[in-house]
Amino acid sequence: MRTGRRRNAWAALVGAIAVALALPLVPASAEETPSSSGTAEKTVFTVGITQDVDTTNPFTGIAAASFEAYQMMYPTLTEYSAEDFSTVPGLAESWEESEDQTYWTYKIRPGLKWSDGQPLTARDAAYTFNRVINGDIEQTNYGGYTSTITKAVAEDDTTLKLFVKRPSPIMYHLAVYILPEHIWKNIDGKQAKSYKNEPKDGEPVVGGGPFVLVERRKGEFLRFEANPNFYGGKPAADEVVFRVYKNTDAIAEALRKGEIDYANDLSANVFNSLEGAEGITTVPSVYSGFNQIAFNMGAALTDGTPIGNGSKLVLDPQVRLAVAQAIDRQVLADKVYGGFATPGSTVIPPLYRDLHLEPADPVGFDLAAANATLDAAGYTMGDDGVRVSPDGERMSLRLLGRQESSESQKVVEYVKDWLGQIGIEVDVRIVSEDTLYEKVGNGDFDMFEWGWVVEPDPDYQLSTFTCDQRSTDDDGTIIAGLSDSFYCDAEYDKLYEAQKLQTDPAERAAVVRQMQQMLYDSNAYVVTVYYDNPTAYRSDRWTNFTPQPAPDGVLLFQYGTWSYESITPVVEDAGDATSTAAGLTPGLILGAVVGGVGLFLIGYWLGRRRPSDYDVE
Amino acid sequence: MSLIQDVAGSGGPDPIPGPPPLPRKEKGSRGLSPGATFALRKTGAALGTLFFVLVVNFFLFRLLPGDPIGMYTRGRNVPPEQLAELRAELNRPVLEQFLTYLRNPFASTIDSAQFNRPVWELVTERIWPTLLLVGTAIVLASIIGVWIGIKAGWKRGKSFDKVSTGVTLTLYSMPEFWLGMILLIIFGVGAFGLPGMFPIGGISSPGVDTSSLAGWLDVAWHMVLPVTTLTLVYLAEYALVMRSSLVDEMDEDYLTTARAKGLMDRLVRRRHAVPNALLPTVTLIFLNLGFTVSGAITVETVFSWPGLGLLSYEALRGPDVALLQAIFLLFSIGVVLANLVADLLYAVIDPRVRS
Repeated sequence: MRTGRRRNAWAALVGAIAVALALPLVPASAEETPSSSGTAEKTVFTVGITQDVDTTNPFTGIAAASFEAYQMMYPTLTEYSAEDFSTVPGLAESWEESEDQTYWTYKIRPGLKWSDGQPLTARDAAYTFNRVINGDIEQTNYGGYTSTITKAVAEDDTTLKLFVKRPSPIMYHLAVYILPEHIWKNIDGKQAKSYKNEPKDGEPVVGGGPFVLVERRKGEFLRFEANPNFYGGKPAADEVVFRVYKNTDAIAEALRKGEIDYANDLSANVFNSLEGAEGITTVPSVYSGFNQIAFNMGAALTDGTPIGNGSKLVLDPQVRLAVAQAIDRQVLADKVYGGFATPGSTVIPPLYRDLHLEPADPVGFDLAAANATLDAAGYTMGDDGVRVSPDGERMSLRLLGRQESSESQKVVEYVKDWLGQIGIEVDVRIVSEDTLYEKVGNGDFDMFEWGWVVEPDPDYQLSTFTCDQRSTDDDGTIIAGLSDSFYCDAEYDKLYEAQKLQTDPAERAAVVRQMQQMLYDSNAYVVTVYYDNPTAYRSDRWTNFTPQPAPDGVLLFQYGTWSYESITPVVEDAGDATSTAAGLTPGLILGAVVGGVGLFLIGYWLGRRRPSDYDVE
Repeated sequence: MSLIQDVAGSGGPDPIPGPPPLPRKEKGSRGLSPGATFALRKTGAALGTLFFVLVVNFFLFRLLPGDPIGMYTRGRNVPPEQLAELRAELNRPVLEQFLTYLRNPFASTIDSAQFNRPVWELVTERIWPTLLLVGTAIVLASIIGVWIGIKAGWKRGKSFDKVSTGVTLTLYSMPEFWLGMILLIIFGVGAFGLPGMFPIGGISSPGVDTSSLAGWLDVAWHMVLPVTTLTLVYLAEYALVMRSSLVDEMDEDYLTTARAKGLMDRLVRRRHAVPNALLPTVTLIFLNLGFTVSGAITVETVFSWPGLGLLSYEALRGPDVALLQAIFLLFSIGVVLANLVADLLYAVIDPRVRS
């Protein structure tokens, strides 16, 4: 009896293990034939993202991935070229500023249709612009583009007129997604706030971009289908999927395994581990972000009232120059960023070739020169290796680094070490970005490390150095503006206003360069590096990516949808070009059957055993 | 087992009361049975706790420093008028905000500052995956864990006990995210000659209809690794607690009596020892049930599970006060409710409690 039961127990255990092993094997077999039956020719390009699209409603989203989705779904009047960010036709095939500079005329491509077949005309564009101009929630994402526009008028199906208060170069690049009036006119401003703009009853979201949204599962993925009505022609990829992973390790493994075809924002370690992996190509990708060491150049409110507790020492241009001379940007790029960065100089990154200023007389790393600068300015070396200012103040400065970034924490340690060598004592503190933002806004800092991602239009970046962007006082609460250096120079502000009104690209670029020179000379920021965007993709499945800018810029998450439109599946083995999409496969059914039978057997065994207990009682 | 759970665990439902209370007439019982009085008393206490949480929850997060709007709009070209408007929402008089909140903490008019959408919407999107994941794991873990604990405790010192105690202790001391990553690498990516059998992350595959059988199987397939991870970690705790409380009962006289009656060993265990030893484990299971809502943030992150854990982390950035208060209120409700259920169930299992 006893031994008999024990044998039963073993049988059950073996059975359970067999079931447990059989179940997982099933989807594995499903994966080897990834395309579900009947859609064998469908090519799916899958992008791994670490931050989910927060909403597909273009009026309320904030995540970077959300804007990537909007670009896929909706057209804009013009686009930034993949080649060099110059203005190229989008929905509009041509554009012109009126002689008197009071309005702009955009010629919309004729004969276009939304994805549902309704005509896409200048009237949709006029509707969208007017909605933003007169809107409330609509202003949040697009108000920055429409602040100079007073009204939009569609003269006919192909002519859009935008009337402006003043001349503005922003009119070349209105990144306002043109929405279908016949859909959005039914959603008022109030509803727009919680409108999901997701596929309903299997119907895709009506759009006019290269892809339409056909499926969305929050926190998991978005699925887009190529739009045959797109003005640039139907893209070669049948579907694009954005898949959410919550950590970059998972993304790298998913790429290696083939669950996804593309991943970017990889850490140097992950990037290096993927290098040379079969079927995967890695590219560093030049990016539009820079990091800097910023100084507190006299924190104040917009009315000039001083705030905060910044050290007087960094107000001296010679001190800032000495710090700039003591920072080895090349070492930071190599050691901290693992080579995925280039030494920085001005606040407009070099990938914007038409706007970037490469300083004619760059400040290089030279500790001897830095020491000489401080000596000449009257800062004498103390006995403890820390200099003393002409006023007798010990040269001790606070430097804030960011908790969220391991690079930031390393950079501040390097800087501390270098400044120690020129007689400046540095007190490093690592704080969260929330805290840093608040401390900076209140002027409670001497130096900090952070960075910006710069748009192709330089206006926003340049505005962060204007006097108007210093902090403001709201009933006793200090509210930070965009300025985090509190740089304030009337001459600079004048140039800022001039470039804001200059609609001639070449003349504007000249002003923008002049402004960069001023900033560079002042050392308000020591731009440490321009960092790359390390990227990896499945080159065994997809080819013909379009970098922006040529030849080594980013492949996706561009200003535009260039790569999504240009990529083509690698044809050698058509089956390989499709990403995994497990469906109801014979394997899956078999697994379910095996599992069911296994459970039944266990249940049967458990049931059978009971009477034997009681018969002894 | 997270730190929070450990701390809260010590303040859980009352353990078996020390001296058995003398039977006495409850003044306010008015003819209600002692059981009903007990239930009423416990429910009242739970409601009181909830109200306390409701109030504290509101003021607690308003103590956090920061300018959320500035943080969220940094790097975005938002016109100043719009910024002022966004700030105005947060700058409304605290009392006014409090009243709105009291009326309905999950009202659709309370917006997340970060996402500019109703808080309730954000929360409901995330709650089901979490309940599915953690709920399944707790059910599995309690069944398997209790079973292992009984087996091991009853045959203390035998080989099953030695092996299972060793294994459960190891599992118990293992960080769940680490265990998750190991499982992910072995069974998700594929190692030691094993193919990558399970998905790297997520809850379903694109293009599969979730309402179909294939959809359900697809979700089940995605659940295997995260649920296994959580189950392994949880079951260790249940097994250890169950084992030790059973061992405590082993030398009790009533078991000797039962044996003297001639009952089979197995029946002595099942009818007499286990029911008495089950009490601490029940407490633990229900406490953990309360925490299902708050999820398992690390496991959710490892397996890219779209649950509440990550949302609460995101809410801390800024901070997004409205979102934080909604999430924490929800967590508190979960714990308080589970405690209440545990208390009531206790009375059913152990008559000493309600008398």
